[in-house]
Amino acid sequence: MSKVIVITSGKGGVGKTTTSAAFATGLASKGYKTVVIDFDVGLRNLDLIMGVERRVVYDFVNVINGEAGLRQSLIKDKRVDNLYVLPASQTRDKDALSMKGVESVINELKQDGFDYIVCDSPAGIEKGAFMALYFADEAIVVTNPEVSSVRDSDRILGILQSKSRKAEEGGSIKEHLLITRYSPKRVEDGEMLSVEDILDILAIPLLGVIPESESVLQASNQGNPVILETKSTAGQAYEDIVDRFLGETVEHRFLDVEKQGFLKRLFGK
Amino acid sequence: MSHPSTDSVSPIDLKGEMNMQNILHIHSTEVRDILHALAAKRDEAPPFFLRSPITVDCKAVESELEALDFTALIEGIKALSFVPVGIRNVSDDVVESVTKAGWAILRDSKAKKAVKPTSTESTDNTGVQASSGDNTDNDSAESEPMNESLGNRVMVINRPVRSGQQVYSPNGDIVVLSQTGAGSEVLADGSVHVYGNIAGRVLAGVNGDRSARIFCQGLEAELIAIAGHYQLLDEIDTPLKGQPAMISLDGDKLVIEPMI
Repeated sequence: MSKVIVITSGKGGVGKTTTSAAFATGLASKGYKTVVIDFDVGLRNLDLIMGVERRVVYDFVNVINGEAGLRQSLIKDKRVDNLYVLPASQTRDKDALSMKGVESVINELKQDGFDYIVCDSPAGIEKGAFMALYFADEAIVVTNPEVSSVRDSDRILGILQSKSRKAEEGGSIKEHLLITRYSPKRVEDGEMLSVEDILDILAIPLLGVIPESESVLQASNQGNPVILETKSTAGQAYEDIVDRFLGETVEHRFLDVEKQGFLKRLFGK
Repeated sequence: MSHPSTDSVSPIDLKGEMNMQNILHIHSTEVRDILHALAAKRDEAPPFFLRSPITVDCKAVESELEALDFTALIEGIKALSFVPVGIRNVSDDVVESVTKAGWAILRDSKAKKAVKPTSTESTDNTGVQASSGDNTDNDSAESEPMNESLGNRVMVINRPVRSGQQVYSPNGDIVVLSQTGAGSEVLADGSVHVYGNIAGRVLAGVNGDRSARIFCQGLEAELIAIAGHYQLLDEIDTPLKGQPAMISLDGDKLVIEPMI
């Protein structure tokens, strides 16, 4: 049974694409057949982060318009088996996405036996973001520890609950919170919202916390999903997230000693 | 719910949709009285009513419409910074003057929406009553109306009200089992009960019920209002910020008390 997962946030620059790349790579290395789709038509980035930008021939919009077949357009990753990228078009805009077109692509991917279809949402709450979330079964809401990002995430949660297909059918999308660029030091100094503050505001289950790390930028620039940087804290945190998503109980790390004690009490079940 | 169209070629889509709007039931044909009362209503909650769409319902005065100056009415409503959308329950013999004045004639929604008795103790009773009808807001959280007894409806929201969402319980109370986010709006004709923090706007007694109250487990709202008397929380000096609190209306003042 394939699952559609949207990586979304409302706000831009919080780490959606980094997360999409790392998460999809993580799922694939666990042996699941995974595809990650870039919904940011016109501002495509996922191919860069995945290091496949020079292998793009056909893109998502070509498939939607019937100009290319899905198999022609999927780029197979060279590092990890079972991992495919469907890049966005850089020369078009979000209007090129049609509901029918997106639905047929997702259905075709499901028929092709993909276990996980990861949708990398663009920022904002307009058409591109809406298309990315509409068909989702689960959502990972990416938030930075600052007030505007948290508020935008609250907004996107509202949209997930009212405008997704699941919601229209009377069900609901399973929500996960992912906090990125977390700096325990700055939380301690009172410059940053704490995990606890964010959970108070958003009230959804915490999937994980990615610490602020230089290796994220480095990995992105090299076109290497950061989860493959097994020595970096961010890479390890993404590994934990994939395990947690797949149902394992993994303790939260990189929140500093004190915070860990507190979170243990909170999530120590 | 609106979706982006599947056909990206057409510059427009025309679709029927239900929208939140105020229905102005008039009980008089004297334009001056109507506008005066409407102005008073507006001044109770200017930010809430500013440029809000309004539909006029003439049911109560349907037989006396010859006496009503429709041009003066539409101009007057505009001057009060409302946006007149349309008019309904107008008799056939005045249709011409109604359309000439620039009104759109709407069908009556349902018989149940016909005139409500002016039972609320609003400050004015000069012939106007504002009520909200037919609201199915695009972004509103799903809700299950429960327990219809004594004409009261309780709306129960079993998850957080998120930023950008608006929930309104007409004719009754609203109960939010979780919290309300910054940038959200919770409105009820009756009282508002929140078993979590309130961080957005919370308006109780929006139809003029001065006995309505607001109850919450953590008072962090941006704005609170009862029967149109509103107050920004930042302008209030209360030790109860972030604490469980109950808000009621005493005269023209909102009173914030701890929950016992």
